[in-house]
Amino acid sequence: MAGICCGVVGETEPAAPVDSTSRASLRRRLDLLPSIKIVADSAVAPPLENCRKRQKRETVVLSTLPGNLDLDSNVRSENKKARSAVTNSNSVTEAESFFSDVPKIGTTSVCGRRRDMEDAVSIHPSFLQRNSENHHFYGVFDGHGCSHVAEKCRERLHDIVKKEVEVMASDEWTETMVKSFQKMDKEVSQRECNLVVNGATRSMKNSCRCELQSPQCDAVGSTAVVSVVTPEKIIVSNCGDSRAVLCRNGVAIPLSVDHKPDRPDELIRIQQAGGRVIYWDGARVLGVLAMSRAIGDNYLKPYVIPDPEVTVTDRTDEDECLILASDGLWDVVPNETACGVARMCLRGAGAGDDSDAAHNACSDAALLLTKLALARQSSDNVSVVVVDLRKRRNNQASS
Amino acid sequence: MEMIGGDDTDTEMYGALVTAQSLRLRHLHHCRENQCTSVLVKYIQAPVHLVWSLVRRFDQPQKYKPFISRCTVNGDPEIGCLREVNVKSGLPATTSTERLEQLDDEEHILGINIIGGDHRLKNYSSILTVHPEMIDGRSGTMVMESFVVDVPQGNTKDDTCYFVESLIKCNLKSLACVSERLAAQDITNSIATFCNASNGYREKNHTETNL
Repeated sequence: MAGICCGVVGETEPAAPVDSTSRASLRRRLDLLPSIKIVADSAVAPPLENCRKRQKRETVVLSTLPGNLDLDSNVRSENKKARSAVTNSNSVTEAESFFSDVPKIGTTSVCGRRRDMEDAVSIHPSFLQRNSENHHFYGVFDGHGCSHVAEKCRERLHDIVKKEVEVMASDEWTETMVKSFQKMDKEVSQRECNLVVNGATRSMKNSCRCELQSPQCDAVGSTAVVSVVTPEKIIVSNCGDSRAVLCRNGVAIPLSVDHKPDRPDELIRIQQAGGRVIYWDGARVLGVLAMSRAIGDNYLKPYVIPDPEVTVTDRTDEDECLILASDGLWDVVPNETACGVARMCLRGAGAGDDSDAAHNACSDAALLLTKLALARQSSDNVSVVVVDLRKRRNNQASS
Repeated sequence: MEMIGGDDTDTEMYGALVTAQSLRLRHLHHCRENQCTSVLVKYIQAPVHLVWSLVRRFDQPQKYKPFISRCTVNGDPEIGCLREVNVKSGLPATTSTERLEQLDDEEHILGINIIGGDHRLKNYSSILTVHPEMIDGRSGTMVMESFVVDVPQGNTKDDTCYFVESLIKCNLKSLACVSERLAAQDITNSIATFCNASNGYREKNHTETNL
C-alpha cells in the first residue's frame, strides 16, 4: 500500500528526487517507509550535501537499510518529538477498544534542517462530549524565538477550548475560538510574571533554551492552527502561517488563510495600529516577524495579534481527509499535491472497516508528506497531521 | 534667590551643552551616500555600573539581547576579536560575525562592527555609550546607541533605518528590564544583609545579657 501511494508521488511529482530510479527499486525503497526506525542519540548523521548551517546536531532519524538512505538521510528529527508523534497514533489505536468512533489520525513532526525543534502537535480525540456528540481536537503550533510558546499551546489550548465550548451558548464557534486563543495568549504572557513571582514552572525552564527569563523573553511566539471536528462540522481556527486543508472528492479546499504581513487586509490593519511592514527577506512586521498574527510575541503588540480567523465547514460524504501542517510543509508542497498524496494513501488502505489499516494509511500520508517536504529542501521544522474524515455515517451511528 | 536660580539654570544648560557635544563626538559615524545612520536613547532606572556590566560583555550579548541564542568567542574578548552569534528563529538571519572595535571601561564606550553572517546588514558599525543620569531622584543611566549601515538593494534609507531602529529598541528595552531587575535584586540583597546584620547584633546583645 505504501508502495502505491509513494509511486504516485514519484509519478506526479517529477521535481521530487524520488523519481529517478526504476520502478522496482522505487517500490523496494518505498516499501520500507513504515519500517523507519528512530535511532538513538548516538547515531551519526550522514553528510548532507545540500544542508545549510541550520542543522540539528543532537539527534537523527535514520532508516535501517542503506537502500533508503537517499530519502531518509534527509529525515532528521528531534527524537522526543518523533517519538511522541508515534506514541500519539499508538495511543489512539489503544483507545479504540473504548470508543468505537475513534478518528483515524496520522502525525509526523520532525526538526528537519533547522537547528532547533520548535514545532508542536496536539492530538486529543474525543476531548469533549457535547449534545452527546464526540468532538475531536487537532492542533499544529510552529514556534519562533524559542519553543516554549508552542509547547504551552500543546499543553493547554485543548483544555482552554474545552472550557470555553462547555459554556458556549449555541453554535457561536467564532466567538468561542477567538476567546480561547486570547486566553491562551494571556497565559503565555503571564507565565513570565509567574516565573518572576514564584520561580515556578520548572518544566518550562528545563524544556526551553531561553537565556532570558521574562519579562524580557517576550520576543517568543507561535502560530496556531486548530481544528475541532464534530460529527457535523469542521471548525478551523488559525493564527499565523500554518494551514488547514480539506481534501474533498479530490479537491483541495483551504480552511484557513495564512496571516502574512503583506496580505492586503492585514497590511492595512498593521498600519492602522501604527506599525510598518518592511520587505526584508520577505514581508515582515517592523522588518522582523514574517507573520502578522501569532500567540505570544508581546513585543510586537498591537501589530501582531493573537485573534484567530475561524471557518466553520459542514461535513459532507465526499470529505476524505483534513491536513494540518506547519509552513515547513506548505512552503514546498502545494495544497493540491498534499491532498493528492494523502488521498492516494487513504485509497490504498480502502475505506473499509479495517481501522488499523486506516490508521496506518493516515500515518503513511503524514510521513510521506513530511518526506516530500524534506526532499524538496524544506529548511524548516515539518509537522503534519492527517485526519481521515470518511465513513461519517458509521461514526455518527456509533456515537 | 532669583539670581541664584538663574545661575543654576545657566550652569545646567551649559552642562547640557557640553554633554551633548561630547556625546556627539563619541557617536560620530561616517555616513556615505548609500548608507543610513541614526541614534537611539534609552533611560534605565539602574545605576551605571550595573548597566555597563551587562553591555561590556562582548562574549555574552545573549545576557540581554532577546534575539540571540548563543555566542562564541575564540580566546579573550579583547579589541579586534570576533564573536560568532546565533540568531533565534523567526528573524531574517541565523548567524552573524561581529568584531569588537572599542571597549573603554573608563568612558563606558563599546564599539562593534558586523563583518559577516547570513543577513542583509553590510558594513554595519555601532557605538553604545552609557552615562549616569538622575531619574526620579535616583541614580539611573542613559544609554545611547548609534549605528551606520549600508542600505541594501530593494530597500529605502527610511526602511533600513526603521528596521535597525526596531531591533535596537528591542535590545535596549530588554537591557532596561534586565538591569532594573538586577538593581531590584541588589536592593533586596542589601536589605537582607542589613537585616541579618542587625539580627546578629541583637542576638549578640541577647547573649550578653544572658551572660
